[in-house]
Amino acid sequence: MKAIRLAHKILRTLVRDRMYYPGRLLIDTFSIVARCGVLLVLYWYVFRLNNGIINNTTFIVAAWSMFFYFAFSVFRLRDISRAIMQDVQSGNIEVLFSKPISYLSYRMWWQVGEGLYPFLVISFFGAIILASIVGIPATMSTYVFIPTLVLVFLFGAILSLALYATVGLLAFWIEDVSPLFWIVDKAVMILGGSYLPVALFPNFMYKIALYSPFGASQFITHTVYGAWAIEWPVKIGIQIFWTFVFVIVVSILFAKARKKVSVNGG
Amino acid sequence: MMKELRFALYATKKNIQGSAELRTSFLTNIAGMAINNTAFIIIWVFFVKSVGVVNGWTSADIIGLLGFGTLSFGVVFSAAAGIRKLADYVANGRFDHFMLSPKNLLVRIATSSFNASGVGDIIFGIACLTTYALLIHASIYQVLLIVLLIAISTIMFLSIAVAIYSVSFLFTDANPVTSGLFELFFTPSIFHGGAFHGVTRVIFTFIVPSLVVGALPVEIVRNISLEKLLLVSVLSFVWFFVSLKLFSMGVKKYESSNFMTFGG
Repeated sequence: MKAIRLAHKILRTLVRDRMYYPGRLLIDTFSIVARCGVLLVLYWYVFRLNNGIINNTTFIVAAWSMFFYFAFSVFRLRDISRAIMQDVQSGNIEVLFSKPISYLSYRMWWQVGEGLYPFLVISFFGAIILASIVGIPATMSTYVFIPTLVLVFLFGAILSLALYATVGLLAFWIEDVSPLFWIVDKAVMILGGSYLPVALFPNFMYKIALYSPFGASQFITHTVYGAWAIEWPVKIGIQIFWTFVFVIVVSILFAKARKKVSVNGG
Repeated sequence: MMKELRFALYATKKNIQGSAELRTSFLTNIAGMAINNTAFIIIWVFFVKSVGVVNGWTSADIIGLLGFGTLSFGVVFSAAAGIRKLADYVANGRFDHFMLSPKNLLVRIATSSFNASGVGDIIFGIACLTTYALLIHASIYQVLLIVLLIAISTIMFLSIAVAIYSVSFLFTDANPVTSGLFELFFTPSIFHGGAFHGVTRVIFTFIVPSLVVGALPVEIVRNISLEKLLLVSVLSFVWFFVSLKLFSMGVKKYESSNFMTFGG
């Protein structure tokens, strides 16, 4: 009950905060237009040069797949690594540890709260704009699409939080986790299907994307492909497996990190 | 001018020495950034493999593009990393200290910080451009062009960075604005150059000059195009003077936060 109250309080406060500063939403929109918008123009041109089909994939499917990746990235769940690292480097961690709340759940809810409002607004309006410009792929009108999209989104969010929290917690041992963060982040970027949609992956790369936690955290980009109607149980199963593994890893690391902290007072 | 350049070199040397004190962090930052950049090569090379050659752009050209982009990024944001902190300096009142310095204000701010990961970008950029020169069997003219274009694209990158971060004077907390604008400029500069055509090519050359940093230099080297060389040179110098003007206009607009602090 206490945990739910904490989550509710954090989410409400941060969503209100974001709503109060509409300029920040404008910046997030800028950012997604700069990355996703330019990329879509690029692919539209490339697909046109290839008579509309590359690797049996049409532009509509590739566009929605990339849009899902960039909309999910607006959530900024990856920033949990930096937030934990800053807490450790600044010493703020000892203040947070002394509070009667779970530090990890506080950080995770904080991250969700920070990205929730821009994610909802940008995803909603982005989806409407994209649908009106390029249309909707047939796979998005199947009956499994919405329920599986919700599931894959939820597990993807939990897995991303656990994956990036694991990187962040390493700051207790190596202090500056930025290089490690860059490597994990780029693995997620490549295998998640950001600049290159998963349908255009070579076979070996597709297998890495399928079975690694980096690709699994972005399975939301797979939902628009024709094979999703058959493959969704396997893919959600893989996602659940990695979520389970990383939740355990993050719990063990956190328990060890707690023992490592020595409060010197001041 | 020479005096300011000497000061900039001295400040950079001291910044590197200070940064290298934390040896492990310094080295892991450099190596981490170089590995991080490899991701873009993987993506675009697989893109070319799947999609084929677009407007004459091969995998080698992508390597050249990333070479120019990361090298100019690395030079500017390692030696002149202070530019990126301008929004913080304005917001927390530290800008007052710089204004009191007898040195050139922009040089003093730019060299106030050093970013070790930028060295990783420089190493990566040099490796890419060397590979590019080998892959295209570059002639001596093309090698000289590459060297000249590194200087031009770095001037362009520096100019745009100064112009973007000068926006810091207009907002109370300009960090989100400057990062959004910077992303709008930098992201297309490491995109596949062959995909920019027609209106997008005009926009990303003259309005948001992202292509001047990477795509146009690659096309100049590949086709030995003197018209394009003239174009990027003129654009770089125009942007350089525009950015200095924007910075001085911003400084005139600056109002001290009057923080009662000492030193720092």
